[in-house]
Amino acid sequence: MEEAKAYIESGKLELYVLGQLTAEEQLEVEEMAKRYPAVKEEINAIEIALEQYAMEHAIQPTSGLEQRIFAQISALSGTTGAAEPLPEKEALIVPLYPDHTGTVKTLRFALAACAVLLVVSVFSLYSAHSKLAIANDQIVALNQSKEKFAATVSFMKDENEDLQQIASMSADPTWTIVKLAGTKIAPEANMVVYWHKKGQHVMVDNTRMALPQNDESHQYQLWALVNGKPVDLGVFDAKAEPKKLLVAMKEIGTAQAFAVTLEKRGGSINPTMEKLVAMGGVSI
Amino acid sequence: MAATNKISLTEEDLVRALKAQETIAIQALYDMYSAALLGVITRIVQHPEVSEDLLQETFIKIWNSGESYDSSKGRLFTWMMNVARNLAIDKLRSKDFRNASKNQDIENNVDFIDSQRKVSFNADTLGLKDMVNSLKPDFINVLELVYFKGYTQVEAAEELDLPLGTVKTRIRMAILELRKYFN
Repeated sequence: MEEAKAYIESGKLELYVLGQLTAEEQLEVEEMAKRYPAVKEEINAIEIALEQYAMEHAIQPTSGLEQRIFAQISALSGTTGAAEPLPEKEALIVPLYPDHTGTVKTLRFALAACAVLLVVSVFSLYSAHSKLAIANDQIVALNQSKEKFAATVSFMKDENEDLQQIASMSADPTWTIVKLAGTKIAPEANMVVYWHKKGQHVMVDNTRMALPQNDESHQYQLWALVNGKPVDLGVFDAKAEPKKLLVAMKEIGTAQAFAVTLEKRGGSINPTMEKLVAMGGVSI
Repeated sequence: MAATNKISLTEEDLVRALKAQETIAIQALYDMYSAALLGVITRIVQHPEVSEDLLQETFIKIWNSGESYDSSKGRLFTWMMNVARNLAIDKLRSKDFRNASKNQDIENNVDFIDSQRKVSFNADTLGLKDMVNSLKPDFINVLELVYFKGYTQVEAAEELDLPLGTVKTRIRMAILELRKYFN
């Protein structure tokens, strides 16, 4: 009896009713209740007190809720035992052993879909890769042609400048135009030299040059005849497609005539008279 | 209105009918206890609409698991009350509910619900609320937290900054006071 009293006063029974005990503690309380009627009575008294306490704090549900609950329960039980006749609902059938065939089917389908997706992905990756390689080649090719165009443009720019200069020199009286005619070893040869006496500039015009093409080991050399003596004015090449239209030669202030000889590449100190290709006097 | 002819059965008849899956059991339980259960649920979740959904869930669960009720272990109402409280606490602690009700002021809400809804009194307990309110607040506060707000005794101890032993004692004292008043 003492044990029962101490147990009652421990506060465990209240926690038991409030659902605050562990499963183990609950079993213990239930054992005690079986053994001591006083414990059982105490539990009952606590329950009634809390029940009344809850009743006192009751909140009336809204009127529709009752119908909703009864309808659901009628559907669950499959009977219409409710006071008001309620529309019958199909009972929800939950199989005792879950049927997996549907899931397996779905998974198979998903697997097949994954495989197809993988194949498609690999193919598109490969195709994207080769397209990228093609694009890279195209970029390289475009870069090359761009450089080519840039070179052409700069060449044409230079050419244009030269042409303008030629035009201005022809019109300018301070520039002397000296026409060189071919000698007997090259009767077809002829060319033009522009000479600015005051500025001592000498220019060779590639657009108005008709000399036989020189080979790799030879070059033409321009000479000025000053009081009967030849003065070196530098070497030049006769090409089908010259790099520049105007070639600046060494400077000279006085000259009675200009002559061109074919010399070894780099030029000679004295002209080889046997190889005199063209010559022309300065007309004043 | 369903409220005009309420069904009331003795506890033995109720339990027998519930275990036999007779719908009259649910009707009787609803008439007798729905308001009390809703009162508890509402104080836990603080949300009238959610409370009624939970009350519905509670009755479905009572219906479906009536067989597991063991009358030797306690009164039917205590069992129902624990079903309702556990559902309400689960809901309260569920992520979606916490997100949805972040902005609600918990304390004010109880008063709001009380003022908005007709609190139903039994004739013999009429006026008792005032008496209960006059109970020692230190004791009744602890019981309120555990019984009506879904706190565990550990959480209540933390909330009130009391030793766990004191919480236990106060719960017992509060229930003893209630018993005094209800007798």
